[in-house]
Amino acid sequence: MNIGRTIAMALRTLSRNRLRSFLMMLGVMIGVASLTALASVGEATKQETLRRFKRMLGTFDVVIVNPGGASTRGMPSLTSAPPVLKQGDVEAIAKEVALVKQVAVTQFAFDVDVKYGDKTVSPSIMGVSPNWAEVRGEEVALGEGITAEDNDTMARVVVIGEDLRKALFPAEDPIGKQIRIADVPFQVKGVMAPRGMGPGGASMDYTLAIPVATASRRLFNRDYYTGMLAQLRDPAQADRAIADITALLRERHGIVPPGEDDFTVTSPKAQVARVTDVGSTLSKVMLGVAAIATLIGGVVIMSLMLIAVSERRREIGVRRAVGASRRDILAQFLTEAAVVSFLGGLVGILVGVGGTLVAASLTKLPPAILWSAIGGAALMSIAVGLVFGLQPAWRAANVDPIQALRS
Amino acid sequence: MIEVSHLVKTYTRGDGTPVPALKDISFTIGRGEFVTIRGASGSGKSSLLNILGCLDTPTSGSYRLDGEDVSHYSDERRSHTRNRKIGFVFQSFNLLPRTTAAENVEIPALYTGGAVDRGRALAILGQVGLGDRAEHYVTELSGGEQQRVAIARALMNDPPLLLADEPTGNLDSAAGESVMQLLTDLHREGRTIVLVTHDEGVAAYAEREIMIRDGLVAADRPQPGHAGSGAARRQA
Ligand SMILES: Nc1ncnc2c1ncn2[C@@H]1O[C@H](COP(=O)(O)OP(=O)(O)OP(=O)(O)O)[C@@H](O)[C@H]1O
Ligand SMILES: [Mg+2]
Repeated sequence: MNIGRTIAMALRTLSRNRLRSFLMMLGVMIGVASLTALASVGEATKQETLRRFKRMLGTFDVVIVNPGGASTRGMPSLTSAPPVLKQGDVEAIAKEVALVKQVAVTQFAFDVDVKYGDKTVSPSIMGVSPNWAEVRGEEVALGEGITAEDNDTMARVVVIGEDLRKALFPAEDPIGKQIRIADVPFQVKGVMAPRGMGPGGASMDYTLAIPVATASRRLFNRDYYTGMLAQLRDPAQADRAIADITALLRERHGIVPPGEDDFTVTSPKAQVARVTDVGSTLSKVMLGVAAIATLIGGVVIMSLMLIAVSERRREIGVRRAVGASRRDILAQFLTEAAVVSFLGGLVGILVGVGGTLVAASLTKLPPAILWSAIGGAALMSIAVGLVFGLQPAWRAANVDPIQALRS
Repeated sequence: MIEVSHLVKTYTRGDGTPVPALKDISFTIGRGEFVTIRGASGSGKSSLLNILGCLDTPTSGSYRLDGEDVSHYSDERRSHTRNRKIGFVFQSFNLLPRTTAAENVEIPALYTGGAVDRGRALAILGQVGLGDRAEHYVTELSGGEQQRVAIARALMNDPPLLLADEPTGNLDSAAGESVMQLLTDLHREGRTIVLVTHDEGVAAYAEREIMIRDGLVAADRPQPGHAGSGAARRQA
């Protein structure tokens, strides 16, 4: 019998026993739905993480130099960072590492009172080099950014983030206004374009930036940096740049083996990989759960098919008597299992995609439908039907027609 | 049409003891004959018919159908032979439930490899007097009607040989008579019919009777009551 006719026959048989067919579909449906949804949500999360990193770093053509060794956690600030990255290091990297185009630096601090009128807030504070905005790909939405002249003259000027603008100047033009940072007066010069959430999910707009020289000498009286971004001439050379910068800084800091680095050089790609890796461990566990649901679905198909085979012995006998061979019967039952499982998979895909869209609208993540996962799920559902249908089909093919037709 | 010689069928029980159902059966049935196989219960009639129908293979001996020795055909080839040459009618109708009369009649055509000819199924249903029942589910039909659907199904692929095992066994006498009338008509059209029964009245419709006793042919004779005698028919 040809495959088209066998499938048509399977569909007719399945539609005659709707409840059983539904039960057979259920497990595969749940398994495939969760697989599809998980794969899609996982992909969406990964893409969103990437986007957030991009927003945080502006571009991926940099390597990041932070004070402190490999075990250092969290964003280094003036209170937490060891005082190891100095202006001499910055100049040496810019001059001696050929792969580096320019170096931007920052002094990062928080827990500093910022006042305007009767409002007191505590945003994050960044002293930044004039090329910081360029290296990070930041833009000024209103007014002007920090210039080389501001830095050279240690000007008391400030560019504020959008969230800070909302907090301090909800209804007035902030440009030219004076705010007090740790009781030092600064003039608002510009407002940064909003950047949205960082990789951790916190807003990156509740912040202000002042010239790093002003921060260093007039505000904090610290001569070390909490971070550097070394912009590369060729982003593909990040690994070599990391090696060169590491070697240079070890030499400058007088570190000899077995002494460990007192700084960390990473590329954004490596950081993204680390974050998405955590995500993928989680989704691996959940994928396992979904796979188990699918397997249970397969076992349900197998048991219900076995019951069906014994209930349909007479039908098998009739078909054999009128000319069906063992192989025809095997194909018939195998096809039924594959079709029911595939239908379960199809519904599961629809439910999974629907769930993904719902999840996307709830989490406000843009949905990512993974077509490869959908195709894989469809193929997998057919395979589950074939594998778990094999034993029942084999049993059906070996029903003795004479016994089955008696009585 | 049918040539069996020294046919032996020995079943093996679950505990391993052999059960000799057919001991040594030989006969020939010509094309177009209407033969009944009669005998007591357990004498081996069904065992013989299953071999003639290529549902089963003999333990030894040979079975030639249309000149071909089919006794050692593979499952695939026996299935093909059943499909093309043999129509079965059973005591218990063996129709598929939740399926219409026409769908039941079409089943043999599913295994021919060709297209299913719904028109032919309907024509055959008309021939057995059920033209208006084609779309009825078989559970909505009477026993006699169900058996006629089963006969229509046996005719779907136009096989030269019809095998019937107690086709009237589950029917009242009126329905049984109409089924036998139908088989007689099919015989007149030239079909070879082999019918198993233990009912003398049914046997009277045939032109020849093979008596089986304990797995052996006890008698093989022309049916005395035949030649269309009214007396013979009334006995059914
Ligand atoms: N599959 C089997 N396994 C073991 N013994 C069997 C099997 N099938 C039939 N027999 C035995 O073979 C003998 C012949 O059985 P068969 O069914 O051919 O008789 P029958 O003439 O058709 O009887 P009835 O008129 O009751 O249908 C019986 O003794 C029966 O018990
Ligand atoms: Mg019998």
